[in-house]
Amino acid sequence: MNGISDVDVINALRRQMTIAAARQAASAGNLANVDTPNYKAVDVTFADTLDAAQVATNPRHFGSMTNAGQVHTEVAQDAPARRDGNTVVLDQELLKMSRAAGDFSAAQTALAAKFRLVRYAINEGR
Amino acid sequence: MATLNAAISASASALSAERARIEVAVSNMANAESTRSANGEPYRRRDVVLTSDPVNSFDNALGQASATGVKVADIVVDQSEFQRRYEPSHPDADADGFVALPNVDQSEEMVDMLSAARAYQANLAAISMIRDLVAKALELGRS
Repeated sequence: MNGISDVDVINALRRQMTIAAARQAASAGNLANVDTPNYKAVDVTFADTLDAAQVATNPRHFGSMTNAGQVHTEVAQDAPARRDGNTVVLDQELLKMSRAAGDFSAAQTALAAKFRLVRYAINEGR
Repeated sequence: MATLNAAISASASALSAERARIEVAVSNMANAESTRSANGEPYRRRDVVLTSDPVNSFDNALGQASATGVKVADIVVDQSEFQRRYEPSHPDADADGFVALPNVDQSEEMVDMLSAARAYQANLAAISMIRDLVAKALELGRS
């Protein structure tokens, strides 16, 4: 524990929220194009960025990645195309959206608890 | 938050595109028996061409995650053959007694309309999910 603000934890939670929001946006775009011929579904990729960031710094700093905005989208490979060349699967996109909403909600709850602790300390326990 | 706004714009663009598809399918069905139109020949069915349309080109330029919307690129006229029906008493019948009817297939239009309605529903669901997310994020600033 390093002080009351726990920057590492807050950064990690912030990153989780950013990624969940990006997932949500990518799936919304895929859903919007569910009937566009030759549209290829996109997916959010962040694993590479995460690995690169962790190698660059101390591996124990799990929340030290500051460039949480660097979330990329990429055309999903090996997705089977329909006859019109479109690779969007409606139910999978809706599933991804609710999963992202759950992740976001979890991170938000934890972050709110973290902030509550900080406020508790500021108010001297009142 | 910018990402979530882009997501809502993408879903909203899909709502209007799907509504355009339903409108076109409905007018095709309405004109399934129209043997005369402005240019003298029977009605020809229309078809909507959709194309993807990036809503937030700045994020796209940076290669970052952004939502992709959709727009109606064109409404094309189907140039396939007219149907022909033997009906000598019809005022538009030709010398052999055949009437040229619009190239509209009722079942095809119904299927198109259903798929557009389902896509509309899915996008509405997406919008309400994103709205919940925004509300949840704003809760951080409360109390």
